[in-house]
Amino acid sequence: MKKGASKKISEKEDLFGAAEKVFSKALVKMIREEGHGFLEAGRDGSFVLDAEGKRYLDCYTSAGSFNLGRKNPAIAAGFKKAIFETDQGNFVMPSQEKALLARRISEFVPGNLDCVLFGVTRGESMDAAVKLARGFTGRKELITVDGGWYGECGFAISLSARKGKEQFGSLIPGIKTVPFGDIEAARSAISSKTAAFVMEPIQAENHCRMAEKSYYSGVRALCDRNGVKLIFDETQSGFGRTGRKFFFEHAGAAPDILIVGEAISGGMFPMTAMVFTPELKKFFDIHPLIHLCTFGGHDLGCRVAMAALDEYDSKAPWTAAQALGDKLIKDLAGLADKHKKALSSVAGKGLLISLKFASEKTAQSFCARAGENGLLVKRAHVDGSCVLLRPSLLITPEEAALISDSAGKALDTL
Amino acid sequence: MPESSFIKMDAKERDYIQYLFGKHISWGQVRYLRCAHLDIYERNRKGCKVVDAVSGRKFFDCFSSAGCFNVGRGNQQIMETLRDALDEYDIGSHQILSEHKIRFASKLAGLCPGDLNRVVLCASGADACAGAIKLAMGVTGRTEVITMEKAYHGHEGFSLSANGKDYYKELFLPLMPGFRIVHFNDLEAVKKIASKNTAAIVLEPVQGEGGIHVATQEYMTGLRKLCDELGIMLIFDEVQTGFGRTGKMWGMEHYGLLPDIIFTAKSISGGVYPNGAVVFREIDPLVKYVEENPAFHTSHSGGSDIGCVVSSSVLDFLVENKVWENAAKVGKRFKDGLMEIGKENPDVVLEVRGIGLMIGIEYKYEFIGALMADCLARLGVWAVYSGNAPQVMRFQIPITAGMEDVEELLARIRAAMKSMRIYLIFLLPLARIPIFRMILDNLKVQIATFNIVRDIEEFVFGRLLRR
Repeated sequence: MKKGASKKISEKEDLFGAAEKVFSKALVKMIREEGHGFLEAGRDGSFVLDAEGKRYLDCYTSAGSFNLGRKNPAIAAGFKKAIFETDQGNFVMPSQEKALLARRISEFVPGNLDCVLFGVTRGESMDAAVKLARGFTGRKELITVDGGWYGECGFAISLSARKGKEQFGSLIPGIKTVPFGDIEAARSAISSKTAAFVMEPIQAENHCRMAEKSYYSGVRALCDRNGVKLIFDETQSGFGRTGRKFFFEHAGAAPDILIVGEAISGGMFPMTAMVFTPELKKFFDIHPLIHLCTFGGHDLGCRVAMAALDEYDSKAPWTAAQALGDKLIKDLAGLADKHKKALSSVAGKGLLISLKFASEKTAQSFCARAGENGLLVKRAHVDGSCVLLRPSLLITPEEAALISDSAGKALDTL
Repeated sequence: MPESSFIKMDAKERDYIQYLFGKHISWGQVRYLRCAHLDIYERNRKGCKVVDAVSGRKFFDCFSSAGCFNVGRGNQQIMETLRDALDEYDIGSHQILSEHKIRFASKLAGLCPGDLNRVVLCASGADACAGAIKLAMGVTGRTEVITMEKAYHGHEGFSLSANGKDYYKELFLPLMPGFRIVHFNDLEAVKKIASKNTAAIVLEPVQGEGGIHVATQEYMTGLRKLCDELGIMLIFDEVQTGFGRTGKMWGMEHYGLLPDIIFTAKSISGGVYPNGAVVFREIDPLVKYVEENPAFHTSHSGGSDIGCVVSSSVLDFLVENKVWENAAKVGKRFKDGLMEIGKENPDVVLEVRGIGLMIGIEYKYEFIGALMADCLARLGVWAVYSGNAPQVMRFQIPITAGMEDVEELLARIRAAMKSMRIYLIFLLPLARIPIFRMILDNLKVQIATFNIVRDIEEFVFGRLLRR
């Protein structure tokens, strides 16, 4: 081994030691067991490099944040320019950056979802959304579906199928959970006491579970009839991931409030948002500054998101995501046929793909084997026996082929 | 630096931006800020001043986005660090380690007193608050939390439940059960309700939004003792008090004791890139819980790679320049100056409070907050009253401010006080009559009146300009 290389490894072990000390031994162990016992360093389009220079095709993209590739150069260039012109601003002030981005989002998102409230984390935006629904309707009851995942904030965690949440007390009261995809269950749960009906229209962390198309329009109709606000969390499925700008375009039913995730900045800035109808904005007209967020609508972040939206519009990555996704799902289904014992099914839409394994253990080993074969993948939060594939939407057909190749190799060595 | 379209804005453009903001975000917010001439559009943000894009006038930033700019606005060193980081990084992958995440967390832990050695990286203050409360509940297996009247911790579910102001909560009920609110600085009140069912006591060492109330030494000592006796986690919200604001690196350092958990955000971002953290003590129940539940709070974009590079640089800047010493020195002069102004205006000013550069003036009446904000804005000082206490005006200028900045600022505040006198000739006698005072203190009345005045003013000036 070269001297430089051994120095790097000892540096790495020192850093892992420091991580055990400052975070926890258990966190480091958890990360290593997932096959991610490296230090993330370089970024190159669809690839990420560890500190020793090993390349991985990034099929994690930090849960679908890097839809436009890692460290997208066009967004980085826009960001760099903005640094010397603006900063985060004072969060209570209207600003040009916020106003222009809000207009841009209203143009980008289909339908009459024209209004925006910015957040930092997914959970914060979900919390803002259900608060808006409660505040606007004057009702208390919230309905969520089983198998969802909306983040770690108070309302979000209360609405999620999150293991271990009972240790944080009884959480937010007034929440009913119904089975996803069951229109009859939705019909008997939704009433004129309901403020909001919350779901991810495609449950990424739960083997990309989708419902029949009629379910979405059925729930939409039930909500309309009862004055209930429909909330879709598209943190993972938004910005072209499933072959359309947003998954709700496949579903044929638009929500009243849409949650969008870090993909809004191409993964260059911690920003999320809730996008909602003009009807709901009346609440914020009457009650200004009732929901505040210091870093939400960060002026610099708004400029970054503007650059990202320019890039989305010029690349229109959803078209390729659809075609490449269809092909990839087909190839992976072929692998499932070949490895029936380990890989039980393949599901997904566009480039949001889930592989379901025989057990959590098998899924974990697959992540590790995939890593050895140059593929960065991660297990799902809700169903831990699933592994998600969420590459950059700008992958080439060759890179897409490499994904199924490497997955095949990983399966062979399981 | 390239000149760009972002540098200047005429009144027509401003109106268009306000229209867009109103259409897509909130008309209410536009009207609220417009009412006391607070609707400036920031450009050339530098040190403790910004330039209004429309008028071209310089304003002192006395709010600092509630204390975010402890390295000053437009800090060259931080901006260059961010620019260079963009050649290498993006937010990075959640739950995958990187050199910068580890180095930043270690550096942060190294700057915390005592055995506050363990870190959970977060993306915002509310995110970190949620993490801290979850940690306390997880560790103790209890679900009751005691927080303070007028406290401000954030707007997501946990932090909202912990807030001490009804306006933020009442339209969104029911929130989490088990949150109990007591009067700040009242040890007996806490003792009455604290028990072995209490998971945590959460407080800000200096209440910011609540109107600059500094926790007393007896209160803090008493809380620490109570928590020790009952196995309660003492949590300090250092979001505003951290990173030098109060004249020491941390608010807690004024008290010579350690909380079990702190959470922090705002200034660690350098005013350019969101970040935050929970820091907790390396003691048995805490460490044991986290080793058993390493993913008890996972913040997706918290501790991002770019964020950790920037925040590391912020910590370096703070330490190299010992900015807390400046905050203490400049803050003392500022507070003394404000107290002199208070003495000159005993019918208007009730009290001047605060430590370091976290200072507040409490006026005798709530409506004076809005009136004074207007008079200050006309003189190039952007200051707001506290959300949770409208009679208190907060002065949280960037703590890199120099003595000369403070002298200039004091002169402008004194002048604003003088110009406010004209209105007070009529208003002060009225304010002594309860019914009029109620009307004057009503926020809706204030917003409506100020907006009408503003409309008239712009109409008249618009005519004059056209001539």
